[in-house]
Amino acid sequence: MNGEIIFRKDEISADDFTKQIYKNSKLDYSKFYKMDLLSKFAFLGTEILKAHSKKITEYGDDEIALLFSNSVSSADTDIKFQKSYLEEGSPSPSLFVYTLPNILIGEIAIRNKWFGENLFTIFPKFDSDFFANYCNILLSKNTEACLCGWINILDENVDVFLFFVEKTEVNRINSPLNSEALSILYKK
Amino acid sequence: MTSLKEDLKKQIIEQLNLEDVQVSDIQDDAPLFGGGLGLDSIDALELIVLLEKHYGIKITNPEKGKDVFYSINSMAEYITSPKG
Repeated sequence: MNGEIIFRKDEISADDFTKQIYKNSKLDYSKFYKMDLLSKFAFLGTEILKAHSKKITEYGDDEIALLFSNSVSSADTDIKFQKSYLEEGSPSPSLFVYTLPNILIGEIAIRNKWFGENLFTIFPKFDSDFFANYCNILLSKNTEACLCGWINILDENVDVFLFFVEKTEVNRINSPLNSEALSILYKK
Repeated sequence: MTSLKEDLKKQIIEQLNLEDVQVSDIQDDAPLFGGGLGLDSIDALELIVLLEKHYGIKITNPEKGKDVFYSINSMAEYITSPKG
């Protein structure tokens, strides 16, 4: 979080990493357990951001835009869904509902009652130009802040990076979010 | 019948990922939907899959599902009934 390690995986625990974070964060949202991994990480990342910056929760319900991206869409869940009917004999409805990557945006929106602009894009790799440009376009209009994230999960390979961009007095007068700085942050 | 109801509760908890729910939290005669379990329409579909997977019972009429999945009692009765 902002360059600091706030939680380490307990390798001995019977719980997986997401459940460990959920418990450690003392969250109470039973729907969490029904989510796929994309939504779980999006949910947990958002909750961690909120816990460290209470200001996020003070925005109006249509003032925060949700902007997410990855390169593998919902392939991780798609494969599990395929397995449910090819190998286990019955297609799982609860897996099926997560066979679209933008469902994670819905989960965040439902949890926080945020109804602002939202977009999920699929790019070959993290695209700092896209995030910077799109955020600046949104912030130049009615959006006051953007919750952004790169959430790429496939075969237990997890690459998650969330960031929160606010309209400040500085960028309100033409000092836009910088693509290069964002790229450096992601690589860290 | 008691064993069947206990099995159903365990299967429901597992199939529906009700991690915070214990077998003892589910009363035999309590409504499964609209109550404390917080089940939704996707869970209803999962229950249909559960019946087929564990008991070989197919429910094709959605109206029938409403009665069958009312409670643990109604599910158990349906499974053990001749038409089940």
